[in-house]
Amino acid sequence: MSIIKTCNVKYSYDGNRNVLKNISTDFEVGKIYAILGPSGCGKTTLLSLLGGLDSPSDGQVLFQGEDIEKKGLAYHRKNNVAFIFQSYNLIDYMTPAENVALTSKLPPLPILERLGLTKEEAKRNVLKLSGGQQQRVAIARALASDASVILADEPTGNLDEDTAVEITNILKECAHQMNKCVIIVTHSNELAKQADVILKLRKGELQIADIPDTDMRKGWKS
Amino acid sequence: MSFIKRAGLYCFRQRFKTVILFLVLTLIATFMLTGIAVRDAAKGATANVQTAIGGKIMLDLDTDGHMGGGQQNQWGTVYGYNGDLITQEIVDAIGKVDGVVDYNSEDTASYYGAGVDFKYLPAAFGLSYTQYGEASSYTATLSSEKCSKFQSGKYKLVEGRHITPDDKHACLISKELADYNKLSVGDKIKMYSLDSDAISEFEIVGIFDGTEGTSGNPLTVDEIPANCGYIDYATMFELFKKELNGYQQLTIYVEDPVSIQNVYDKISALPELKGKTLKLSIDTDEYDVVSTPLESLQQLVNITIIIISVVSVVILTLLLTIWIRGRKKEIGILLSVGKSKLNIILQIFTETIVVAVISFIASIPFSNLIAEKAGAFLVSRVTTGTANLDVQINAAYLLPLYLIGILLIAVAVIASSWTVVRSKPKDILTKMS
Repeated sequence: MSIIKTCNVKYSYDGNRNVLKNISTDFEVGKIYAILGPSGCGKTTLLSLLGGLDSPSDGQVLFQGEDIEKKGLAYHRKNNVAFIFQSYNLIDYMTPAENVALTSKLPPLPILERLGLTKEEAKRNVLKLSGGQQQRVAIARALASDASVILADEPTGNLDEDTAVEITNILKECAHQMNKCVIIVTHSNELAKQADVILKLRKGELQIADIPDTDMRKGWKS
Repeated sequence: MSFIKRAGLYCFRQRFKTVILFLVLTLIATFMLTGIAVRDAAKGATANVQTAIGGKIMLDLDTDGHMGGGQQNQWGTVYGYNGDLITQEIVDAIGKVDGVVDYNSEDTASYYGAGVDFKYLPAAFGLSYTQYGEASSYTATLSSEKCSKFQSGKYKLVEGRHITPDDKHACLISKELADYNKLSVGDKIKMYSLDSDAISEFEIVGIFDGTEGTSGNPLTVDEIPANCGYIDYATMFELFKKELNGYQQLTIYVEDPVSIQNVYDKISALPELKGKTLKLSIDTDEYDVVSTPLESLQQLVNITIIIISVVSVVILTLLLTIWIRGRKKEIGILLSVGKSKLNIILQIFTETIVVAVISFIASIPFSNLIAEKAGAFLVSRVTTGTANLDVQINAAYLLPLYLIGILLIAVAVIASSWTVVRSKPKDILTKMS
């Protein structure tokens, strides 16, 4: 079922050259999407447009069939989508529990424990956690918001291989077990291979690359 | 998580910044509170001076064109005033005018008396033009307390009482003269007046000081201030029945200098003054001498308060701008999780207000300590010492002051956070990464 959709989305930084040209794509719940492409091709920009961090120069982003600008981008960011960034983007004077509580009124500890943090770790300052732990906190914050769409920008970019695998598995769980739509922008082929749909952004146009083969998936630790 | 909780966490966790902000706001609030306390004290002191000094209206003889044709005597032509005097009827009518609180007549050197049973402090010439030696001058007055030298503080009564309108054959002498003749209050002295060719007895009702060291190099005894005193007007009228049919001058005291013009107009309209060769004029010199420096002080403090307010907003805005630029990442994160710009500004505002409220409370004792000393210092610099400031931190102006403070903080918060908050969340987050 399509949850978020782009309709003829164009984006230009300077008003002349379009970084994104007529992007029209559907994203469904229960799937992981990987967007690949060279640096500067507009991957993060597309993610920002989907997440309401910016507005397209032309075209629309629809959430459940409704233009996200209608209720406001802040409303869209608060209720419909959740971000996971490469640099975690946690508020440094808060504990993991408090960072998670930013987006939810639910108790944050069960979510953090589910993602592998202990109670003690959940009460430390976030800067005292490892990169992997900080990314788990970021994912916990995304999950706590109860948003249907999770937008992840290079979520494993700063992590070692083992931690990257763990984070990828959590994202897969979000899509397949929690029925969320997970859209990942990445340079990592390994991560992309775990996606249900791989999209390639080249010269401002988005193309469905392929469905990764099952043999590759089998090789991924689960 | 609400913006209030986020603000609380920020204040608690970012202790260094909180302490710096607390010190800056406490300093600003203390300066503001001190300034306002001094200004209000100066205002109060001006009002007190108005009440204490009051205003004065002078009624004098109009000598222009009323000096007659002159009379020849052995010394040449002598001119004398031939116009109207200030009669008791006029004085009584003035006393009944609404707004007049008192009056006095002070006729300097109107009586010259030679000491029959006492001696004056000697002068260079040592004249003896009467059988009792040289005569010294006396000021005739209705109320010696209201005479200019007592009003200005130059003379002070040290023993006994002042001459009042009911006195007859009463006098005030200087402490120097009293000590010189071993006289004290209640003693009676006799003086010979060459003008009336009579010896009169006066009771010393009071002794004043303030004449010490003011003699210079006198040639005659009446040039020595210690030899000059005060006598009542009733005795003057008795001694000079034929020549003296009224007062030479009348000082009218008005309750409120602000309404002095109104009282002046009422006196001018009195039928008793119609057609009389008398001059009526308003005299606020004494009030002006004291109140002008106080008004200057108020203006000075007002300007200082405005400067402090502007400088405070600038300093606070700069400080917050620097800090908020350092919080771009946090603002970007909050925007990305759907917090509105208003919500973020409210968080920063709440953080500042929480510290400001503590600062405002802390500034009260500091201001109390500083305000009194600052007030006394300023008074000593701008006045001649005749005014005192009662500087107190008044609870009545704390609330409006703090409301203004909160408004200024709101301006500083909006000004400093606007550049960051107005940016697109994507731009903030892109720049961060």
